[in-house]
Amino acid sequence: MRQFQPPIRRRDLLAGAAAGTGLLALPAKAPAQGGTKKFDGLTLHVACWSTSYSEFLKNYIPEFEQATGAKVVYETPSFPIYNQRMDIELSTRAAAHDVINVTFIYSGRWVGAGWTTPLDDFIHDPAKTPADFDVGDFIPGTTTAFKDRQGRLHAIPWIADVHMAGCSRYDLFQQAGLKQPDTFDEMATTLNALKAKGGPVPFVAENHYGWTFIPYLHGFGGDVFAHPPDNLHPLLDSPEAVHAADFFSDMLRSYGPDGVLSYTYDQVLQSQKDGKVNYSTSNETFLVQMAAKDSKVAGTCSLSMMPGGPAGRFPDVAAHGWGIPVGSRNKDAAWAFIVWAMSKPLLLRMFRDHGYSSVTRASMIQMPEFRQHSMINGVDVAQLYLDTLKLGDKGYTVYRTVPPYPLVDREIDIAIQTIVSKQMSAKDAMQRAQQNSMKALQRAGVKL
Amino acid sequence: MNSRMLRAWSRLFCAAALLVLVLLPALWLLQMSFRHNAEIMGTNLLFRPTLENYTALWTGDFPASFGHSLLASISATLFSLVIGVPAAYALARWRFRFRQRMMMWILVTRMAPPIAFTIPFFLVFTYTGLIDTILGLAIIYVTFNLALVIWTMKGFFDAVPRSLEEAAWIDGCGVWSGFLRVALPLSAPGLAATGILCFILSWNDFFFALILTRTDAMTAPVAIVNFMQYAGWEWGKIAAAGVLVMLPVLVFTFFVRTYLVRGLMAGGVKE
Amino acid sequence: MIFGTRPATPRPGATAWARQQRHAFIGGLAPALLVLAVVTLGPAIWLVITSLTPWTPTQPGSFDFSAPWQNYQQAFESPEFVHSISVQVELSVVTVALQLLVGLGLALLLDRPSKLLEAIRTGFLIPMVLPPIVVAIIWKVIYTPDISPLHRLAASLGMPFHSLITDASTAIWAIAAADTWEWFPFTMLMVLAALQMVPKEPQEAALIDGAGPAQLFWHVRLPFIRGTLMVAALFRVIDSIKAFPLIYVLTDGGPGGATEVTNYYAFVQTFNFAYWGYGSAIAVLLVAGVFVLSLFVSRTSGGALDE
Repeated sequence: MRQFQPPIRRRDLLAGAAAGTGLLALPAKAPAQGGTKKFDGLTLHVACWSTSYSEFLKNYIPEFEQATGAKVVYETPSFPIYNQRMDIELSTRAAAHDVINVTFIYSGRWVGAGWTTPLDDFIHDPAKTPADFDVGDFIPGTTTAFKDRQGRLHAIPWIADVHMAGCSRYDLFQQAGLKQPDTFDEMATTLNALKAKGGPVPFVAENHYGWTFIPYLHGFGGDVFAHPPDNLHPLLDSPEAVHAADFFSDMLRSYGPDGVLSYTYDQVLQSQKDGKVNYSTSNETFLVQMAAKDSKVAGTCSLSMMPGGPAGRFPDVAAHGWGIPVGSRNKDAAWAFIVWAMSKPLLLRMFRDHGYSSVTRASMIQMPEFRQHSMINGVDVAQLYLDTLKLGDKGYTVYRTVPPYPLVDREIDIAIQTIVSKQMSAKDAMQRAQQNSMKALQRAGVKL
Repeated sequence: MNSRMLRAWSRLFCAAALLVLVLLPALWLLQMSFRHNAEIMGTNLLFRPTLENYTALWTGDFPASFGHSLLASISATLFSLVIGVPAAYALARWRFRFRQRMMMWILVTRMAPPIAFTIPFFLVFTYTGLIDTILGLAIIYVTFNLALVIWTMKGFFDAVPRSLEEAAWIDGCGVWSGFLRVALPLSAPGLAATGILCFILSWNDFFFALILTRTDAMTAPVAIVNFMQYAGWEWGKIAAAGVLVMLPVLVFTFFVRTYLVRGLMAGGVKE
Repeated sequence: MIFGTRPATPRPGATAWARQQRHAFIGGLAPALLVLAVVTLGPAIWLVITSLTPWTPTQPGSFDFSAPWQNYQQAFESPEFVHSISVQVELSVVTVALQLLVGLGLALLLDRPSKLLEAIRTGFLIPMVLPPIVVAIIWKVIYTPDISPLHRLAASLGMPFHSLITDASTAIWAIAAADTWEWFPFTMLMVLAALQMVPKEPQEAALIDGAGPAQLFWHVRLPFIRGTLMVAALFRVIDSIKAFPLIYVLTDGGPGGATEVTNYYAFVQTFNFAYWGYGSAIAVLLVAGVFVLSLFVSRTSGGALDE
């Protein structure tokens, strides 16, 4: 992690303010030196899970503190710990946090239960939101998950991650006369060919199967629910679902690394960056890091669209956004923080300083500078990203936004683990997942 | 004679060899903590050691959580001793009808699985604002330390000859001044050992701290788990943090090794 | 009786002294009992109350007592819960048996008056006092194939093996091995303490009769330490019910629930899914189980625990 260098940052800040970019939403109104600042003496508790964006943001927070007078307590626990804690905390409507990350698998649950604050009143209040913040700039596909039934927005997306496919050693593909697979059939033959060639382990996928398996489920013609959000009857034991589970588990078992079931997202990323694993269908934000400076495969990696199956191509979208818990007692300051953190100038600076930031603003993705940067070994990743998001607009990602999805998510995790570790056949495991999901949903008050 | 010597030596050799074997996993973590992250899985034992993992920890949030651990453990220990030791003395000297049953009840409180306490404590702490505070942690650590103090200290007091206190009583001492002048000084080593056991127990806690703390009171064991996160497992840091967390415990164990058995009889050193 | 051991010639005001003494003792005992009651009995009562409701914060109004037994009923009808108990039993039996064997063996090896052996004995205590989270990390290193020294050693010896913690048939054994490593010192210590209490005469008599070491152990020493072994086993069984950090770090209850013990199941239901009422019910069942086992401890140990 880069060290914070106050003098330079301060200069940047002044320059930004001088340019009148609205770098900070509030400083526009914050009086000049000597006067009291808008949030003097106030402590703001901000939490996100630990990922590159949230870690980079840490470096800039002193600027916010300086400009507003608020003290920011910023925490970034690891993903599972963050979710678990935030879920119980929100459920008690505690006032412990003011700004939180609304996690993609939980967005439906948290927004649906009314645990987060609708942001529309803030957005439409010109005193609280400068015009150049421009909520409309956020790509529609990134905000859908954060809308409640009345259409009110509950979080400002800082990321909308999508499924893509990527290989760390495209040179080995080329040597074997292979291309990145476009369909699941091609994927199976390609991985098989790679395996026969030796070299790095052919395939890996993150062990959060309620996320990584779904494009396969959809691709083979299956689905999670009958008609979300209105009819949540689970469909996990359909022949298509069983087939998909069988295929996916077989990929993991036959072509995955030893102990593939324990591979968390960070391990998947690291194993690809080290060139130990070649191909994976994973998150775009992880895959692009194969091209980072500390990667051993920066010169050989390549990305492609998530492969599809007989029913089509269904890469998923996972949006994370900044939201405000209903229990927060500092909602104005919380919103000011969100506006600051998601302001275009700051995101641009983060991008220039770290080569990476949030990718949810259409205007940023369209910038030539950004497009240039997102060319990885000849692949236009920004275009792949936009194309993928466009597919996501078709609506098949709605299943993920229904409140009880975390319950089914867990059943899918267990089912895939059970199949890969050969405790059950795909059919039995998916049947059990179906029964358990039905029970869990009924218990959560869902009418089936 | 010679064959007896031989047998004694081979016994010693066996024991030493087994000890090395048993400690290997821990030693492996130790050597990992001195490696550069790039060669963290190297098996070559002749590597150039580095302190970079430790310095990286020092500049991060880890020292703060280390401090939280110390503070919570020490305050829980002191509190448990202050109220537990007089109770232990009373139970050692005063024979009353339900004494056995009361001792058993005290022991059972110590054996209940932590999850049983965590659920009610989490809710109460959330509503009283004790969540994510050192005070809250110290309170919950009392739940298992108090029983330990009472049981072990009672044992030590039982071993102090009564005649000495009786002499003090005849000299006009009250019960508690006799206790302070006679029984307590004679059990001083036991008191120190008990205090250290309490400290280790609290220090070692992971479950309560995982659920009941966030940032303001996050303890060192929970901080380690936070290194298992984004951008690959930072094994060097995890190893170094692990070594730092086990250090105080190892030092203290060395001091209380002879008393450990008694402490353990009261229900194990850790959760 | 403490009053009986007082000087034979009672001073004037002996009853006053007795009363004064009793008051003093009550004063010493009361704070501790009060605090214990508040921090343990209070939560226990609260736990029982919440276990009678389907309470979950996601559903307002779910804190109701209209069907007080439904959590318990649901638990016993839930294959996951029943499975978690069988996993628990398997883990407890395996770990306790291994810990008894290893602890007994080492105790017999170390049971000689010698300064050096004493030092080694202290060394063997280390796994037990290490913070459990550190133990979990140590074993995570050993069980993660791409950084594990064990995997590499096996591979270089031509006997490579697959990741143990992601294979359903070995995961529980991997946890058991780590748990045994962590806790054998406990049984070792208890057995050592017991061995030192075995009277010398019968041992010497047996030696004179020409008994070998095996016979000496089986017929003379084992009968003396059997009670201690039993108590140690029960203590370990009780503690094994609390197993958490190893499972949390090594397998997270997986693969596919293969290592999800009851404690872990309660944790997931309560803190991952916010089923407070249901989680409370599982916790109550766990406490009941521990309570029954504790009764066994007190029966088995009799006065031994109380010296």
